[in-house]
Parts: sequence; C-alpha cells; structure tokens
Amino acid sequence: MNWDDLLLMRHELQLLAVILIVTCAEIYLSGRDKSRIIPLSLALFGIHMAAGWLWPVEGELFGGMYRTNGLIHLMKSILDVGVFIVILQAGGWARKQLAPENRVSEFFLLIWSSLLGMYYMVSAGDLLMVFLGLELSTLPVAALAAYEVLKMRSAEAGIKFILTAGLASAVTLMGISLLYGSTGTFVLADLGKQMQGNSLEALGFIFFFAGVAFKISLVPFHFWTPDVYEGAPVSVAAYLSVISKGAAVFILMILLMGFAPLLTDLWVNVLYLLAILTMTIGNLFALRQRNLKRLLAYSAVAQAGFIMLGFMSSQQDGKASIIYFMLVYLFSNLAAFGVVQTIEMHTGKEDIGDYEGLYRTNPRLSLVMLLALFSLAGIPPLAGFFGKFFLFMTVASAGYYLLLTIAVINTVISLYYYLLIVRAMFLRKSDNPLPLVTSDGWMRAGLVICVAGIVALGVASGVYDAIYALCAHL
Amino acid sequence: MIPGVSLIEILTVSTLMFFIGVYGFLTRKNLITILMSLELMLNGAAINFVAFNKYLYPGQPNGQLFALFLIAVAACEVALAIAIVINLYRKIKAVDVEQVNTLKH
Amino acid sequence: MEKIIFYILSAVILSLSLMSVLSRKLLRSAVYLFGVLTAIAGFYFLIGYHFLGAVQLTVYAGGIVVLIIFSILLTHDIDHQMPTPDWSRVAVAGALCVAGAVMFVQLLQGSLFSRVEAPEQSDLNTVGNTLLNPGGGGYLLPFEVVSILLLAVMIGAIVIAKQRHSVDDSSPEKQAP
Repeated sequence: MNWDDLLLMRHELQLLAVILIVTCAEIYLSGRDKSRIIPLSLALFGIHMAAGWLWPVEGELFGGMYRTNGLIHLMKSILDVGVFIVILQAGGWARKQLAPENRVSEFFLLIWSSLLGMYYMVSAGDLLMVFLGLELSTLPVAALAAYEVLKMRSAEAGIKFILTAGLASAVTLMGISLLYGSTGTFVLADLGKQMQGNSLEALGFIFFFAGVAFKISLVPFHFWTPDVYEGAPVSVAAYLSVISKGAAVFILMILLMGFAPLLTDLWVNVLYLLAILTMTIGNLFALRQRNLKRLLAYSAVAQAGFIMLGFMSSQQDGKASIIYFMLVYLFSNLAAFGVVQTIEMHTGKEDIGDYEGLYRTNPRLSLVMLLALFSLAGIPPLAGFFGKFFLFMTVASAGYYLLLTIAVINTVISLYYYLLIVRAMFLRKSDNPLPLVTSDGWMRAGLVICVAGIVALGVASGVYDAIYALCAHL
Repeated sequence: MIPGVSLIEILTVSTLMFFIGVYGFLTRKNLITILMSLELMLNGAAINFVAFNKYLYPGQPNGQLFALFLIAVAACEVALAIAIVINLYRKIKAVDVEQVNTLKH
Repeated sequence: MEKIIFYILSAVILSLSLMSVLSRKLLRSAVYLFGVLTAIAGFYFLIGYHFLGAVQLTVYAGGIVVLIIFSILLTHDIDHQMPTPDWSRVAVAGALCVAGAVMFVQLLQGSLFSRVEAPEQSDLNTVGNTLLNPGGGGYLLPFEVVSILLLAVMIGAIVIAKQRHSVDDSSPEKQAP
C-alpha cells in the first residue's frame, strides 16, 4: 500500500472523510449550533463532488477486489451530482421537519453510506463486493423511507421496501451460490472465463439478476415502487428513482457487457422481453394515476424500460447511450420531484387536480415542471429528446425494428400523461388555485442546476462524444 | 465431506428449505413471520455455499467466508426491519399486512 | 454414523422449517425457527466448518432469534393466534413453490459437478488469514465494508425506533385495544 493506491480509492475515502466529519460535528456541536450541520454537509459534499471529477485513474486494489477506470470514475461522478442535487433539494425540508426533532445529520449519514455502497458496487471486482455494495446501498434507504416517523405511510413504505429488498437479496444469494457451484470462483474476471453456458449458470444468473432488477424496478419486480414512492419522504423517493436506479443500471451494464460475454445471446432475449413489458405496463398504469408521486413512480418504471433498450447492443454505442440517458434522466426527474416536493412541503397537496391553475400563482415553478416533463417525454430540443434518440439509434442499428416501434408507441403514450399535468397547470382555470409558494434558497439552487442540465445537455453535443470515447474500454 | 452423503442430497435439503421460505413469504400475513420466512431462504442459500465449498472447491475457504458475510448482512436486515416494525406498531398497534396496506390508488 | 446424523439433521431442518411457516401461533413459529437454525449449525459442525458453526450459533440462534422473540413479545400477546390464510392464496403459493422446487432439484441433479481436487483448507487459521489478507484472494475490503454496513444500519435503526415526544403520538398506551 502506498499513496498511489490511496488515490485509486479517492472517491470512497473522500466520502468516508465527509461522513466522519459530519458525525463528529453531530457529536460535538450542541443545541442551537446544530442548525449549522445542513450548510456544513452541503459544503463538504460539494467539495467532494468537485474533487471527484478531477484526475480519473485506472487500476486495481486488494488483489482485484476493487477496480476502477475512467468509465467507472464517470459513473461515480454522475451519482455524485445526483446526490448533491437531492440533498440540496432536501435542505429546506431537513431544516423545517428534521431539525426540531434533532435528526438532521443522520439523514445525511444514511444517504451517504448508501452512496458509498454504490461506489463499492460499481467498483467491485468480485461477486461478494457486488452483493455487499448492493446491501449497503439498499438497507440505509429502507431506514430513510421510514424516516418521517410520525407519519403512518412513511413507516409503511419502509417496511414494504425492506421486506421486498430482503426477498430480492435472498434470491440474489441463491443465484450467486449456483454460480459459485458451477464455476468455483467469485472473481468477476474469472467468472466470465470459467462459465460453460450450461443451464445451471443461466438459472444462477437469472436469480442474481432479480436482485438488480428489483432496484431498477423492472416489471415483474416493480410492485413495491408506487407504494414506496408515495409513502416515503419526497427526497427519498427522488433518490430511489434516480440514484438507486442509476447505480443498479451501471452495475448491470458492467456485469453484462464487461464480464460475462458468454451470456449475451440469452440476455438480449430476456432484456428484450423485459424492456417491452416494463415500458408498456409502467405507462399503462401511469395513465390511471391521480396522485403525482404515484404517477412519477410509474413513469420511473416506464423510463427503466427505455433504459433497457440500450442493452440491446453491447458495443460502444449501447454503453454510451445508457450512460447519457441516465445523466439526462437524472436532471429531468430530479427537477420534477423538486417541484412536487416544494408544493407538498408548503401546501400538503399532491394530486393532479390540485395543480390546476398553478401557472397563474406560481409561474416559475410551473415552467420548471414544464421543462422537466417535456424532457422526460422526449420533446426536442430538450436533453430528454437526445437521450431517447441515442437509445433508439442503438436499437435500430442492432436491427430490432419491432422493439423500436413499441418504444415509439410508448413514447406517445407517455407524452399523453405528461401533457395531462401540463394542461392542468397551464390551461385549466381553478376557483381556488394553490397559493404562491416561495421555495427556500437551497431548493431554488437545486432546481436551477436541474434546469441548466436539461437545457445544456440538449445543446451541447460534446457530452455524448466524450462519454462515447470513455466507453471504449469497460 | 460427510462419508456416505452426496452433494445432491445436501443441495436438495437447501433447495427445499429455500422454497419453504418462499411459501411462507407469499402466504404469511404477519410482518414478523414474513421476516422469519426470509431467514429460512437466506439459510438455504448459506447451506448451498458451504456444501459447494466443501464438496467441489476445497482449495480455498471462499464459500465459507461468503456464508459468514451472509450471516452478518442477515443480522443487519433483521435489526433494521424490526426497528421499522416496532415504529409501525407504535402508530397502529398491529403488525398485519392488511392493516399496513393503506397506500392504494 | 455421520450419514445417520446428517439424515436426522435434515429431517429436523425440513420439518421444523415447514412447521415454522405453517404454525398459527407466532411464538411457536419463532421457536421452530430457532430449532432450524441450531440444526443448521449442527450441520456446519458435521461438515467440519467449526468456526462457521459457532458464528451461526452465536449470531443467528443467539442473536437474531432473540431479537425476533423480543419483537414478538413487544407487539403481541403470548398466545396470539393468527388467522388461517385464505385458500386461493395457499393454493397458488403452494403450487408455485412445489413447481419451483421440483424444477430446481431436477436441474441440480442433471448438472455435472466436477470436484477440483486440492488439499482441504478450512481450518480456523486459513479462514482468519484469508479474511484479513489485503492481497489477492483476501477478504479485507469486504470485511471493512461490512463494518460500514453495520454502522449505517445501527444509525438507521436507532433513529427510527427511538421513542420521541411528539404531538402526534398522544399517549399510545391508553389507545391500546
């Protein structure tokens, strides 16, 4: 071990340092000084995020248990940006709801330990690390979902999440044990070489996949999504829908495209089916929702189906389109959740009907929501259009025209329910619209970053090229 | 190896145990019993790791160590789940699935 | 001799886990689970993994089951009787599980497992050295990650379960049925 090795694990060590500093601050700051923890946490994490983008490095540690390269570095940095926006948006909520009960720093600690688990998961060189990372990224989120201890529905969301997570991890473990029985190794690099492609391995991998699919909320494993999103605090739902899902997509990508090329044929078929099911069912259920959080939950399920399109090609374009889409989706979805959170925090309303006439009283919030929804639906020239465009290009160049047609039809369906919200906000007149809501400075900063991301990614074409170049080696 | 016992017999026991756990997970209505069914499933997987390690790959204690980590993770999961159950119980004085199903569209 | 012990252990494991899943008395169910976990520890001792067996006994049988029993006693009467699950659910779940188990066992029987001959490495020394070895084949990093996991879960559990004085919770004892 020397200093260069420490530099390899920079992301993890930095985040651990942030966690330790905030823990100490929680212990040593007393009484009224504790209100300083929120700006302190945000500042520390901001520094961590900024430092994370510098010098990508490549290498292995702990005898291959931990590995990193430019692409993995990029994935971690994207997750950083997402978490930064989530905690920015949660700042005002934390001060209003959590500070009186003295539970602010634990909120940040839990989010960060979950993020740390994701770092270790995408950097894993061994199935044991994948599994531990998966658990470390899931279990603290269960605590976060149940965080509003005074609300019944928050506790309900927590218990539903942890029981389904437990089921997923038990099934995952069964799968890993079958893979181990067939190959005798947990090391990912050896696993690809040792596999013979027999049915035991296929079954093992399918079981293993269930654990990851649970986090992405693909269709047979999505049933927890709407309940948990509705019950959990909004920032936790935002975290689940973007960060948690993003990390799971990244690890699936690394496993399928980086390590187990033997399974490609089988996997293209399985994912083909899952993509169709997830898109269609997510969209059809989203049509029926009146509660905005549930609607966004089903829209998140449908978007997961779109992400699966990128897996149709294990070439460079497939990888690049997935990462680019995740980046775009991050900004768009967090903007939408940010608006929902602001309105819910100040008025307690979260139905589409309550949003009628919102443009008259809250023009700026409505415009942010409009941009976010148009980007989610994929309307040019916003970033969401290019995200979907590259995914569709991947599918088309791989030659799956039926899938492409279904995806386009689904885009149209999704446009319908996104426009329903827009119509409620802009065209409907309401006798008693929601009052003017003034969001706090942190939330405003978070929304500004999101909007900047949505617009800038739509204009700057260099981003996709840079990601494409990085995807050359996974 | 256990003299006279083949690998497939151990695997059959662990598989049956896993599926008994699945059955419990699907049919039980009390949150704590669902948690107990989960433990059965996890233990089924743990036996698999140990049996494969002992019978097929005795050169390294990999499977044994994985089972060790599995036990640690299971302990975490149960501790957190029980914390949430107790918090829920304070709200509604019940830990059955029916009472805990208010989130419906 | 070992063969007979193995068969007894498997019979205990399977019957008790079935009873634990079927029993309508909550506390009994937990005690059956305790039996299952102890029998599994016995299986680990039988197979020669003494350290794992000891961990299973202390953490699982000694820790987790006690935690579960505590939570049962905190939330239920001792002779709490659970309602029987409805038939349609039982039938669907049962059919699903039987089909799954049969498919699984058949698949396992059909697979060719080949043993990689090597000198057996399962004594406590090797386990300890592998666990704390930072180099190739070592498990130092997962060991540290698990410690972070334990810390995070501990924080989460404390934050959620700790009693707080609030307006919303108006003296829960009086409201109990």
